[in-house]
Amino acid sequence: MYEKDGRQYFVFDSHLHFWDASPANWVPGHEEYAKGWIECFHAYQSLGPPETHWALEKFQKYSMDDFEKDVFVDGGVDVGVFQPTYLKQWYTNGFNDIEHNAELLERFPGKLIVNGRFDPREGQAGLEQLEADNEKYDLKGVKLYTAEWFNGSRGWKLTDDDARPFFDKCAELGIKNIHVHKGPTIWPLDKDSFDVSDVDHVATDYNGELNFIVEHVGLPRIEDFCFMATQEPNVYAGLAVVIGGLMHARPNFFAKVMGELLFWVGEDKMLFGSDYAIWEPKWQVEGFLNWEMPDLPEYGDYPRLDDDGKRKILGLNGAKLYDVEVPEALRPAAAEAEAASPESAVGVE
Amino acid sequence: MSLRRRVLGELGTVYDPELDEPITALGFVGSCEVSADGDVSVRLRLPTPQCAPNFAFLMASDASAAIQRVPGVRRVRVELEDHYTGREINAAVARGDGFAATFPGETRAELDELRVLFQRKALVAREGRLLGSVPDPASARLRDLTGPDAARCRSLRLALGIDASDDAPAFVRGDGAPVRADELVRFRRVAGLTALSLDTNGGMCRDLLRARYAETEQEELVV
Repeated sequence: MYEKDGRQYFVFDSHLHFWDASPANWVPGHEEYAKGWIECFHAYQSLGPPETHWALEKFQKYSMDDFEKDVFVDGGVDVGVFQPTYLKQWYTNGFNDIEHNAELLERFPGKLIVNGRFDPREGQAGLEQLEADNEKYDLKGVKLYTAEWFNGSRGWKLTDDDARPFFDKCAELGIKNIHVHKGPTIWPLDKDSFDVSDVDHVATDYNGELNFIVEHVGLPRIEDFCFMATQEPNVYAGLAVVIGGLMHARPNFFAKVMGELLFWVGEDKMLFGSDYAIWEPKWQVEGFLNWEMPDLPEYGDYPRLDDDGKRKILGLNGAKLYDVEVPEALRPAAAEAEAASPESAVGVE
Repeated sequence: MSLRRRVLGELGTVYDPELDEPITALGFVGSCEVSADGDVSVRLRLPTPQCAPNFAFLMASDASAAIQRVPGVRRVRVELEDHYTGREINAAVARGDGFAATFPGETRAELDELRVLFQRKALVAREGRLLGSVPDPASARLRDLTGPDAARCRSLRLALGIDASDDAPAFVRGDGAPVRADELVRFRRVAGLTALSLDTNGGMCRDLLRARYAETEQEELVV
């Protein structure tokens, strides 16, 4: 719970990591990739406020105590979701695999959800692993990293034939939240790497069974994402990177991107995600609650976001997708009654 | 004008196909050395080691072709530095190979289709910035548009095989069809969003490049 100006907000962080990218975990012979990857992430951190930057060494591997302080104590996160990233081609024990993430479950009961993953190129063995992971962790979601390397292949697409049994399995097991990272390198390499058209297809096929959360809203292809999401009821915008990468570094772009997302996707389908440890949640939550659409003509076409809308994006939308109960007092109706004022009764249209 | 200046000038005509900005303006040209004999060595640097190989390849091979066009240039070496596919791309550009030959078995085609897709996006984005400059966009002609965005629109239209004469409709969709009056509201919205996407992406690339190289030697390069 995050408290600001006497108001309390439920925070559901849909995008957390607990990674180990220290040199001890680099696969021999692939050090340059492992090193390049974490340094790339570290550069992203520099887009946040300077006082939140970490030294590279800490950024490569941080402790459970760091996690607790940054996410729960300072960030006020009520419930968070771990999105695993395996990258075992480069990191011996994975970058942050499900087992590594799950180490934190016992220490913080009821506060963390571990998502699974699958890779259709693993075939039957992968399908069995997904079932085993579900058995162990009662999965509600998976994170798909389509740019991952596997046996010489540098990525895959959701529309690949061998992906279908995996989506069927997810639907069967109630693993209903499919987070998709549109990564930097999707095979075949000659295609647009951030193309979201594969999400469009499977979202239509599995409407009513599976939700698709496009992480980083398809950045840098916001336009393709928006045109797609506006037509698909089960496609959501994951705001990791939008808030962390733009709110501080490029506030004008941030306002416009938020305006477009509010227009095309809507405040009911946008999910806060800090992408910790790229960025700490605290400044993002605080900044987002303080944020208002600039009152200037060039922002005139965009919908406004009120306190209820912020509540949805910050916590309620994610809690709904993951069947997490939100205390009565933190739901919008209660908040509305509490903060009722003549202004809030005026229609915004 | 020195050969080096002419080479840099020509590099200014090489666009990041994704961002629709010259690689020189983006800070992607890390160094440019020209020997007395006319041998040119250019190093390109990108915002992250994991930038998409397809766009990286296009920029490296376009840069090489651009330098070869400059009279007085003898040998050309273009190298992409600190990139996870730099080795393959540098070797292919030196050989004059296409993209498919650079990554055997990992591609289905050359990058023409990808380039065209982004040229269409770039055109729509540029038009979005020009919509407010004429009273009636649906009846405006290309000659009514002025300034750098208009000039770039013409180049993009020529590259895409879309009529770029003075009398041609000023505003066309990505597929070349003129924007009708009844489509303007939506077109404005779509073009604005496309421009925002390019601008946001460009901003983030600049921020990441600055973080990565932690220096601003661009002035030195251009002088």
